[in-house]
Amino acid sequence: MRRALSFVAIVLLASLAVVPVSTGGLRFYTDDPIGREPETRDASKATPLGIELFYEYAYNLFVTERKKPSNTRALNLNTVDEVPDSSWFTNRILDATGAPNLSAEHVARGPNSDHKPAPEQWVLLREKTAGTTPGFTARDANGQTWFLQFDAPQYPGASTADVEIATKIFWALGYNQVETFITTFDPRHVVIDKDATIRRPSGERTRFTHDDVRRILERAARNPDGTYRTSAGRLLPGKIVGNFRYSGTRPDDPNDLVPHQHRRELRALRVFGAWMNLVDLKAGNTLDALVTENARSVIKHYLQDVGSSLGMANDPGVWDMGWEYFYDGPAMRRRLRSFGFDLSPWQTVQYTEYPSVGRFEGDEFDPTTWKPQTPTSAYLELRADDAFWAARRVVAFSDDLIRAAVHEGEFTDAAAERHLAAVLMKRRDRIAQIYLAQINPIVDPHLSPNGTLTFGNAATAAGVAEPPTSYTARWSWFDNATGATQAIGETRSATTTIVPPAGWSRDGGSFVEIDIAAASVEHPSWQQPIRTYFRRTGDGWRLVGLERLADQQIPITSPERATEEKR
Amino acid sequence: MQVEDSVKRVVTCCAVTAAIAAGLGARPAAAQTPSNVSAAVSPAPDAAAAPDDQTQEASRADLIEQAQSQKAAALAPAKRAKAEEYITRAGNAFLGGQIRWHSFFHSAYAGGGFTLGAGYTKFVSPHNTLDTRGSITFTGYKRIETEFIAPGLFDRRATLNVIGGWREATQVGFYGFGMTSTVDARANYSFQQPYGSAMLELRPTRKVFVMRGGFELTQWKQAEGSGSEPSIETKYTPEALPGLGAQPVYFHTAAGIGIDSRTAAGYTRQGGLYAVTFHDFTDKEGVNGFQELDYEIVQHIPVLRDAWVISLHGLLQTAYSKHDEQIPFFMMPSIGGGSDLRAYASWRLRDLNSLLLQAEWRVLANRYLDMAVFYDAGRVGPYVKSLKFDELKNDVGLGFRFHGPAATPLRIELAKGNEGFGLVFAASQAF
Repeated sequence: MRRALSFVAIVLLASLAVVPVSTGGLRFYTDDPIGREPETRDASKATPLGIELFYEYAYNLFVTERKKPSNTRALNLNTVDEVPDSSWFTNRILDATGAPNLSAEHVARGPNSDHKPAPEQWVLLREKTAGTTPGFTARDANGQTWFLQFDAPQYPGASTADVEIATKIFWALGYNQVETFITTFDPRHVVIDKDATIRRPSGERTRFTHDDVRRILERAARNPDGTYRTSAGRLLPGKIVGNFRYSGTRPDDPNDLVPHQHRRELRALRVFGAWMNLVDLKAGNTLDALVTENARSVIKHYLQDVGSSLGMANDPGVWDMGWEYFYDGPAMRRRLRSFGFDLSPWQTVQYTEYPSVGRFEGDEFDPTTWKPQTPTSAYLELRADDAFWAARRVVAFSDDLIRAAVHEGEFTDAAAERHLAAVLMKRRDRIAQIYLAQINPIVDPHLSPNGTLTFGNAATAAGVAEPPTSYTARWSWFDNATGATQAIGETRSATTTIVPPAGWSRDGGSFVEIDIAAASVEHPSWQQPIRTYFRRTGDGWRLVGLERLADQQIPITSPERATEEKR
Repeated sequence: MQVEDSVKRVVTCCAVTAAIAAGLGARPAAAQTPSNVSAAVSPAPDAAAAPDDQTQEASRADLIEQAQSQKAAALAPAKRAKAEEYITRAGNAFLGGQIRWHSFFHSAYAGGGFTLGAGYTKFVSPHNTLDTRGSITFTGYKRIETEFIAPGLFDRRATLNVIGGWREATQVGFYGFGMTSTVDARANYSFQQPYGSAMLELRPTRKVFVMRGGFELTQWKQAEGSGSEPSIETKYTPEALPGLGAQPVYFHTAAGIGIDSRTAAGYTRQGGLYAVTFHDFTDKEGVNGFQELDYEIVQHIPVLRDAWVISLHGLLQTAYSKHDEQIPFFMMPSIGGGSDLRAYASWRLRDLNSLLLQAEWRVLANRYLDMAVFYDAGRVGPYVKSLKFDELKNDVGLGFRFHGPAATPLRIELAKGNEGFGLVFAASQAF
């Protein structure tokens, strides 16, 4: 009873609580659309809080996985349906208006500064404890601290390349990434720090010994000259305050307002993760760092470990990563019922395997059925408009940009490098084919001073759909204070340029609302208009609002459903 | 007070969520105003307003700052949920070597039935452990022992196991020798056995080549059996049954070599084991000494990326007496039980030589559950050449195995042979 009353009280108070921060009836403000989500308050009181691995796995597999998506539109969007820059995300591959923004040189450089590791000497501080690949924490000859990880003996060059490439691509996509470099580790020039310890099976920490070094290196691919190729990730600046979670907010961060499952860039990891086969999509692979920006402590959120990507997502004896969750009830029951004869796709898909690439393919790839090791709340909340947003960013990676990123893997086998780039291109194209054409793909609307409306079509521009037979624009004046509209008229065009209706006058109002739909037999969903808003400025019109699927949002089909439909 | 706190926190959360949604410009679907397009073309409601009529009004940035200020006034420390906290503590205790008690389901001897037991493990150095454990069954099988394990000897090439203990089995079945024995001929015997042993397993290259060697000092005190079956001395005489009533003290040495490419002995889906082991049992009294050779082959063949694994097992054991000594019946090779002829009672077939052939078709259900159909066949005989492939005792069955990457903590199987059914609960892999 007490709990029920509490719940009612909470709901009532919550509904009232929005009043003090209401927008006062205005739909658009003078600074709309904002380009950056500001962090205005000091977060220095945030305290470290990590996430427990087994709890996270169990919770996501047995609780999160059963949740129904809330079908809530992402809450961290600006008024033109874009994700503003923030401590989470920086628009890079496309800028905040959706325009291409990076060169091949930018992608190749990624988050890296000019300060590479100095591998002449490594001072070992402790062993690597997370992940399956062997490694150390070590100081280089310049005194900089790095996290080193090596390749497995059966996959020389693979993990290190994987980390390097994935870091560059996720950085270009907009995520905060750790500086990483491929460098060398020569055990003949290793010093063990006098305070270095290692955790023993007994749980106690004892001095790190040269035998420990040998033991760790036994699991690493060795070069013919006795050195080891290693991926070095720089120690993050600031104070680490744990991992970010894929749902809720940090209660100790005043600037963290949007529940993480409703952040579009976190939902979009379902699309980006599918492209890159980032299967280890767990909160444990993220980091929150308390840093000082503009004389204020803020928490910067890192997608810290993206190394379980590409072909390195699979261990030699594990083939189902990317295809099934760690525990996948429907697939398990199917196999039990059929005694294994009802084969899963991962059991038959053909891989062209290079030791330095691993298992990574693009022919059977389907982003709608792709699965990480465990689902996250943000993964499940992905909707069609989020996927469209993400797909535009994937498609923005031209062949040249992909080759530039892959080249950073420093492959010794040119055929492996070509293969990896080709697979990424195939997977990119598949994402475009599915997510760009799924909903009305009109982008980049522009209203000229004389009222001519122009826009783009992301699906036809990507070559994944035929142009529609016509476009229709429905014009209305919009009252920014009340939200009321008054129809002006409707115009139509076979091209992406539409003239205003009769009765249009530049001085007719301060805001105009234009719904733009496309007529396509192939894609009936394009009939659902996108809604745009333009504000009159001194010399013309400025886009201030864009809603994709304004009144009819749809979640993405669940991987199980998509799999069943394919079957 | 707690309610007030939770209300306050949720209110703040809802408020700031709504604020940020409105603040950044995203409108949650539920809050959206449907388009209200009037048919008439008429002057717009704010047509008279100047383009910059709102410059004096609050900005998005102001709204966000307001929401962040509200949250800043109600900050709370980041905390784990209770369940997460418990799991974290348990994980830390487990990984930190703080959990010392463990379950122990190994019976004193095969055929003891449902087993309860516990053990206590203590690290005596950063890597080496001392494990003291005991178990008991409802049929009175008892076991208590202490094992010292040093897993990292010779630069992690060798593992040393030293065990000292005592066990008692109260009703071990004996059905007679050879293939003509019948299940109705069962007689029970018991034994008590103190033992101490040291075994070294060496992998010189740290890869597949394995050498094993060690010794054991033990005494078998065979005595009358309990249970519903007749005790063995009521059906046999010492003249008819070698070793009946004997209490030999053995110095047992063993040495073996093999190729072991399995990922782990406790669970694997690939690789194999090809091993030969020689045993010498020297009786202190020079009466019951013998030698034994065990040849074992295990091969796992994954099919379609582990959709299935075909697992094959062959074990040939041959015992021969030393000089004019005799081999006690209870030390002769035997088959039957939960890991070999699974539909047959433990120790069902016994003779100087035994042959066991097993095949399993394992089906991967998920990474931690396999199911399998299996076929077991075996026979015993007085000579190696009598171990022919005809007239084998056999069974078929179905099983489920819950396993980790290197161990099988639970195996449940049902087998059917021509002597009935066998239900197996085991805490180890069959082979």
